[in-house]
Amino acid sequence: MSLAESPAAALAAPAWRLGPGERTALVVVLAGLVSALLAPLLPWVAAWPDAWVLPVTERVGSGLGWFLDLIKPAARLVSGALAWPMAGTTWLLAEAPWPLAFGGFVALGLWVGGPWMAALTVASLGFVLASGYWTESMNTLALVAVSVPLALALGLGIGVLAFEMRRIRAALQTVLDIMQTVPTFAYLTPLLVLFGFGPVVGLIASAIYAAPPMARNVLLGLERVDPEIREAARMIGTSRWQRIVEIDIPAAMGQILVGVNQCVMAALSMVIIAAVIGGFDDIGWTVLLTMRKAWFGQALLAGMVIVVFAMLIDRMSAALAEPERRGDPRIARAVLGVSVLAGLVSWTTGIIPGAAEIDLLDPVAAYVDAGLTEFTKANGAALDQVKNTAMFYGLLPLRIGLDDAVLPFTWGFTWDRGMSAWLLGLAGAGAALMLWRGWLVAATVLLAGTAVMLVGITQLPWPAVVVAAAALGWRAGGWGLAAFAGLSFLAMAAAGLWDRAMLSIYLSGAAVLICACVGGALGLLAAVSPLAWRVLRPVCDTLQTIPLFVFLIPMLMFFQIGEFSALLAICAYAVVPMIRYTRHGIVSTPADLVEAATASGATRWQMLRDVRIPYAAPSMLLGLNQTILYAFAMLVIAALIGTTGLGQAIYIALGKADLGLGVSAGAAMALLALIADRLVQGFAAERRRALGL
Amino acid sequence: MTNAAGAAPAIACEDLWMVFGERARRQLDSARSGGGSPARIAGRLHDQGLIPAVRGISFDVKAGELFVVMGLSGSGKSTVIRCLSRLLEPTAGAVRIAGEDIIAAPPRRMVALRRRKMGMVFQHFGLFPHMTVAENVAYPLKVQGQPAAARAARALEVIELVGLAGREGAYPRELSGGQRQRVGIARSLAVDPEIWFLDEPFSALDPLIRRQLQDEFLRLQSGLRKSIVFITHDIAEALKLADRIAIMRDGEIVQIGTPAEIVLHPADDYVAEFARDIPRGKMMTVASIMQPVGAGGEGGGEDCRGPALATAMSLDDALATCAADLSPHRVTDGDGRVVGTMRPDDLVRALGAVAP
Repeated sequence: MSLAESPAAALAAPAWRLGPGERTALVVVLAGLVSALLAPLLPWVAAWPDAWVLPVTERVGSGLGWFLDLIKPAARLVSGALAWPMAGTTWLLAEAPWPLAFGGFVALGLWVGGPWMAALTVASLGFVLASGYWTESMNTLALVAVSVPLALALGLGIGVLAFEMRRIRAALQTVLDIMQTVPTFAYLTPLLVLFGFGPVVGLIASAIYAAPPMARNVLLGLERVDPEIREAARMIGTSRWQRIVEIDIPAAMGQILVGVNQCVMAALSMVIIAAVIGGFDDIGWTVLLTMRKAWFGQALLAGMVIVVFAMLIDRMSAALAEPERRGDPRIARAVLGVSVLAGLVSWTTGIIPGAAEIDLLDPVAAYVDAGLTEFTKANGAALDQVKNTAMFYGLLPLRIGLDDAVLPFTWGFTWDRGMSAWLLGLAGAGAALMLWRGWLVAATVLLAGTAVMLVGITQLPWPAVVVAAAALGWRAGGWGLAAFAGLSFLAMAAAGLWDRAMLSIYLSGAAVLICACVGGALGLLAAVSPLAWRVLRPVCDTLQTIPLFVFLIPMLMFFQIGEFSALLAICAYAVVPMIRYTRHGIVSTPADLVEAATASGATRWQMLRDVRIPYAAPSMLLGLNQTILYAFAMLVIAALIGTTGLGQAIYIALGKADLGLGVSAGAAMALLALIADRLVQGFAAERRRALGL
Repeated sequence: MTNAAGAAPAIACEDLWMVFGERARRQLDSARSGGGSPARIAGRLHDQGLIPAVRGISFDVKAGELFVVMGLSGSGKSTVIRCLSRLLEPTAGAVRIAGEDIIAAPPRRMVALRRRKMGMVFQHFGLFPHMTVAENVAYPLKVQGQPAAARAARALEVIELVGLAGREGAYPRELSGGQRQRVGIARSLAVDPEIWFLDEPFSALDPLIRRQLQDEFLRLQSGLRKSIVFITHDIAEALKLADRIAIMRDGEIVQIGTPAEIVLHPADDYVAEFARDIPRGKMMTVASIMQPVGAGGEGGGEDCRGPALATAMSLDDALATCAADLSPHRVTDGDGRVVGTMRPDDLVRALGAVAP
């Protein structure tokens, strides 16, 4: 960065000596220019020729199929073994009289978090019971209850192993990264082949999906234990096992319990996603079913049940980490006793109505349905207007370029070559002006942005994309990342997934752009105004606890199936980290910096622009990183309501149990996420170094 | 000292090297085959991208001796104590505890040694946050396999020894820094070890608390007579506590000597620079510069006048006494026996070097 160089060095260096940023910019512009010039002459530059597509997906499919057949007996053994605890838990929660489970949870809430938690439990479960989805919810919960111990054990094992064996730590970290970036649906296809239809697939998938957050927190907790504590334990003469069990893990317990919380939430989220397989009467399936039938009142009600559930589980597992909130165990035991008694009474006498007979909230659902029909009838035109405007003037040009998107019946005129020339000329003039001021990188960004708008993301010539990805990789992380990024894109092209990958990049790119602007602005607002943060904070908390699935319901209600609904759902989910990290970065500017700036006479605005925002830049970049990963995660889920691209491919593959397509598309998705992650992390690390953090 | 002449020292450290980096052992061997001083060898290692933190140091600690290793940050003193306790595996050299080379000892033997013979106190206390004071102190006994009642009784005993009676049920987070280090000391003494390692035990404390704990530490040691290696970066602390001091710089020992030797005869400018900052009048005692009475009783103070000085008197106090009468003074020990004479010009010379 030119910022980091001293002015004297900058003056002394000859003008033609370019920094790494400038060199990257030049390479990108050159690659774009050459591809644009060659594309009309050489058809293989414009689009990856079909003849070059290798039968990768088929090979992956047959290879994996062979392997899965090999281990299938073992897998069936596992699913057979899991059937027992599964049946027991399902009976206890869903089939036994509801007062038993209800009272059991209240007792648990009372013990974990005191009277307030007990009250919250009563209110939440009361709502679930009244909604008429008690049995479905308890089926879901039974899956979670069996998968969480598996995930916890797996995560604890991986975390401790990664800490104790320094040599394999880096490798394990990479495995964790991959486990978390492989899209959720992509897990399901191989598991489906392996375990066959049934709840075990969701069980195993959620155990795999929920283990990494636990492992990460265990590792983080162990790393944060004061090394002197470990040295003290060694000097006392503990064996390794003694040290791990009696000292390390208890000393890291605070962080480990944070991991437990994240693990439980991830397990719940995955169990609900796994409902798309079907075959199990759980709450996720209910949402899916009612959504497909367009019973939005019921879908919303079931969605609310999931949200209430997620919040309850979140608060309860978070309270685990606060031992001072424990309630009186004697009262908890008494509540448990009463509930067992009530369960027995209900079972023998039938005085208490069964869960299936309770449907107090059905009128509400019907009312919502009627209201919604009313609303769409009245405002359907306005909603369509919003949707079409966004599609025609925003999404479509980004996707296929101005030259194809501008049509007489939307824009009122036809785009011709002259206009392209004008636009490019204008951008060129702007770039020249920037060059004259010495802003080479900015000039490139302007030129590249204009070119993308003109051609559209999905129609960019592939050599330009590959070179640009590699160049950015080189800039952010050196030759290794450059090779990784470039080769990944080439591999996607060779596997015949290029078009789908570019569609995914386009939609998630649009969502990330919106999130960066909106989230950045909201984060800034929340940093400046405590009132705004007081309003935003619970909204952010809620959005982060809601399982991905539920985001689709309201979007679907108002905007039907399509890319626009998907975009909204992605934005709603992915905007949160951007808000949080931006605010956090700006608020946590060290006091002495602020005081120094104040002492220099900086105004509020100057302080924000010159001190706080530069200081917050690394944090904001990490927020952007999270936003990108969130957007990718949601992109796949949004395939349920109609997106094209890799997510759709994974979803289709799941429906057909097509191993090759599902795994290849999942891998492509994971590669895109990993590349984006490494790029942004690289830039963030560089900013941190420049700031000396 | 109590041990007979010829018996092995409590701790012997022989040509100890600690080099951080890839393939450190082989690199050290090849660097040493080139010969030359430790500094030359270290230079070669440095060029290879390795970090030679401890460079061929040797010293002995006698039984019951309080041996202080003093150096600034980065001098390698913390690495030395971690090599002695084998928390780090030294790259080369030997550490003998009562004659046994512990660097060569198998892991099982090392565990046994730590359970029975060694105690260690840490700069930031290293207390187990999930255990109470009593549980922290009793934990080494639990690891030894003692029954619960016995370890509770012993823990209470040690807790009383360090003046924390009544706080057994508190958690470390509820204690002040000084109290925490008392727990650290109690825990390290619970198994009554012969060897006591203290890694900057008082550096994280406020000056007032630090002085208080230093005094109590001296009181404890006068009763316990452990063989101690004590690390500090504070020359005043070193001079106050030590029987002998080793001064470290850049991974080497620059000088080993008694506090008086360090102050009065610094080996080089580096040590002298430390000694310069010392308020000698306060830190040094009459005993360190008096002319001792010979074995035959000569120099018994025939020409002395004025009141006698005590051996434990600080030089400042001695000066105040001598200022009235500039002639030699008798020096008596605690029992009132005449053990030496103090000539005013020695006194002035010792103090004079302080003046800038």
